[in-house]
Amino acid sequence: MARLSGLQRDVLSLYRKCLREIRNKPEVDIGTIRLRRDIYRAEFQKHLSVNKKDFSTIEYLLRKGHRQLELYATPGIRNIR
Amino acid sequence: MFRSAIARSLKASAPRVIKTPAPFHIRSSPIAARVPQFTPCFAQGVRLYSAPAGLSKTEAEGRIVNLLKNFDKVSDASKINGASHFSNDLGLDSLDTVEVVMAIEEEFSIEIPDKEADQIHSVEKAVEYILAQPDGM
Repeated sequence: MARLSGLQRDVLSLYRKCLREIRNKPEVDIGTIRLRRDIYRAEFQKHLSVNKKDFSTIEYLLRKGHRQLELYATPGIRNIR
Repeated sequence: MFRSAIARSLKASAPRVIKTPAPFHIRSSPIAARVPQFTPCFAQGVRLYSAPAGLSKTEAEGRIVNLLKNFDKVSDASKINGASHFSNDLGLDSLDTVEVVMAIEEEFSIEIPDKEADQIHSVEKAVEYILAQPDGM
């Protein structure tokens, strides 16, 4: 794999954070874990077509993703559909 | 009546007599051979704290290969071996690679920091990293 740019690494790190967050939620069975992983995955896949030079869009999406993840990570939220 | 009481007390004391010396004999001794029911449970199923805990290279590799076989996005399962590269051989993209690395973390109960996780692109690299970890299991 080619060396990743800083922005690409940020995206992967956000994805990693999302996956870690799944594990932090209580009472999960393997089916729910898969489902949540697919949800996060789909969210990232939606924007696969974004050009990697389109910095402002990627930065916007990153900010949006971080905010959304923060929301999901609050203990009051039990599940995502 | 007297005789039966003696017999009963003998019966009660007999196993105790055998039980106490049993743990001190190794299997090859004649007494341990006569009472085999004590030695196996003592010798097997117990992992001593002093036992070597290390992870062999083949074992780590086998566990990663098994994990990849269960991973549904691998394009060609026949290509999975100890030297496969995640994106070149198995057709995984960067997001899949992150997922694989996370699965490896769970499998070996370690946490890989982002910096190192970005460097892991092949089974070989992953094995190398895990063997370098003191607390991988």
